[in-house]
Amino acid sequence: MISRTATPLAFGLLLLIAWQALVMIGHIPEYLLPAPIAILAAMDRSLLLQFTVTFIEALAGFLIASALAFVVATLFVRFHTLEDGLFPIAIAIKTTPIVAIAPLLVIWLGTGWWSKIVAAILICFFPVLVNTVKGLKAADGEYHELFDTLGASRAQEFGKLRIPYCLPYLFSALKISSSLAVVGAIVGEFVGATQGLGYLIIVSSAHLETATLFSAILAAALAGIAMFYAISFAERRLIFWSSGEAG
Amino acid sequence: MNAIVLPDRLDVAPVAPSKPILSVEDLTVRFGSVVAIDSLNFTVCSGEFVSLLGPSGCGKSTLLKTIARLVKPAGGRITRPRAELRTGFMFQKPLLLPWRTALDNVLLPLEIERGRSTVGSVDRGNALRMLDLVQLSEFAQSYPHQLSGGMQQRVALARALICDPEVLLLDEPFGALDELTRDVLNEEMIRIWQSKETRLSTVLMVTHSIPEAVTMSDRVIVLSTRPARLLEDVTVPCRRPRVPEDAETGAIIRRIRAMVRSGR
Repeated sequence: MISRTATPLAFGLLLLIAWQALVMIGHIPEYLLPAPIAILAAMDRSLLLQFTVTFIEALAGFLIASALAFVVATLFVRFHTLEDGLFPIAIAIKTTPIVAIAPLLVIWLGTGWWSKIVAAILICFFPVLVNTVKGLKAADGEYHELFDTLGASRAQEFGKLRIPYCLPYLFSALKISSSLAVVGAIVGEFVGATQGLGYLIIVSSAHLETATLFSAILAAALAGIAMFYAISFAERRLIFWSSGEAG
Repeated sequence: MNAIVLPDRLDVAPVAPSKPILSVEDLTVRFGSVVAIDSLNFTVCSGEFVSLLGPSGCGKSTLLKTIARLVKPAGGRITRPRAELRTGFMFQKPLLLPWRTALDNVLLPLEIERGRSTVGSVDRGNALRMLDLVQLSEFAQSYPHQLSGGMQQRVALARALICDPEVLLLDEPFGALDELTRDVLNEEMIRIWQSKETRLSTVLMVTHSIPEAVTMSDRVIVLSTRPARLLEDVTVPCRRPRVPEDAETGAIIRRIRAMVRSGR
């Protein structure tokens, strides 16, 4: 266990030292490649503020999208006509790149929070929808026969069989969409925003403040990682019976 | 039919034998254009252990599922002289819910029947008694993935018994297990059927093993290849416990084997 965390940490530290040395010995100008120490110096209070903005947008989008996708998936499984009619349309929307839609969102919703939250929703919704539909149908046909012999209602079948059976599938999707949510929020900020990490990336790159740019990139990565690990933690606590990856 | 009352069942038979508890009358089942069961007739009496024997894919599982009302017949009917006959069903796979402990899996039928809030300490006591009956009381708090295949199937048996059925429908209940485990569980099944701890009086079991059918049952209903028709209804008068090596039991096994070979 110790070596599993210590070994990558040691290698990471070694890379950082090499990076610092390269910049110092090679006299590389900061606008091209800032040294790790310069990046660290750029991580200040204002970065934390921008991080918080993006994180909240991503989190809100993620939560709304997941709840919405779960409800729609339940309706799809309950009413097949709905699934047959809407699933192809959902796939069509899913394949449209979020970058192409983001400007439209800014026109409709303005440069405030909502255009970013909706961008995050759009990017998170489909993985959760697809996997939840799959998970809700994943129980073996004989399980349904068992519930039939016990005289279970449709609601009981959902609550006691389909939904718990779906959880491993749901969580695999949540792990994917949690990091996608950050992408959605930042893309929204690229197009039109006055705050957030995406805004900071655009502004600092325009001014060649590369150390700030690096700090923003790092913060964006941290936002994704934080969400991913929070979901993984919840998954391990909740789903003790399934060791394999579902979906 | 069922003229022979087995001596070892006299003291344990809860209801007088020869009283029909389930009748299959002119039953026909179709899946699309495929005829799975073709005008089948037989009667199961209270207190009997009856096997439905036939080759794989002959429609015997379909027959059991039709009796359990999982499949709708195309013709004929299944009558139950008493309308409120409680039946339990056991599948070839344990079909336990992996997120529930053994005890909570056994309680599932009660929760479904009456709602979760009504399940109380009395029911828990009953569920523990069922687990005790299948010799798994120490594993009440274990999860299915912590149990072996045989133990999982014992939990499934306890779950089938929790609603206090009079008739148990078994669909190759131990067919997926290794032979040693299967033999042990078959003996347990007979013990539970004979015990007075439950109201269980009658067992209808699907199997494709001739020795299993003959060593366990009072009667063996031999079915043809699909569509399933009745080849013969064989009464097994031998004393229990039986093993396939007994002269009398062995003779019946050989007779049925010859019949299955020639009778299709």
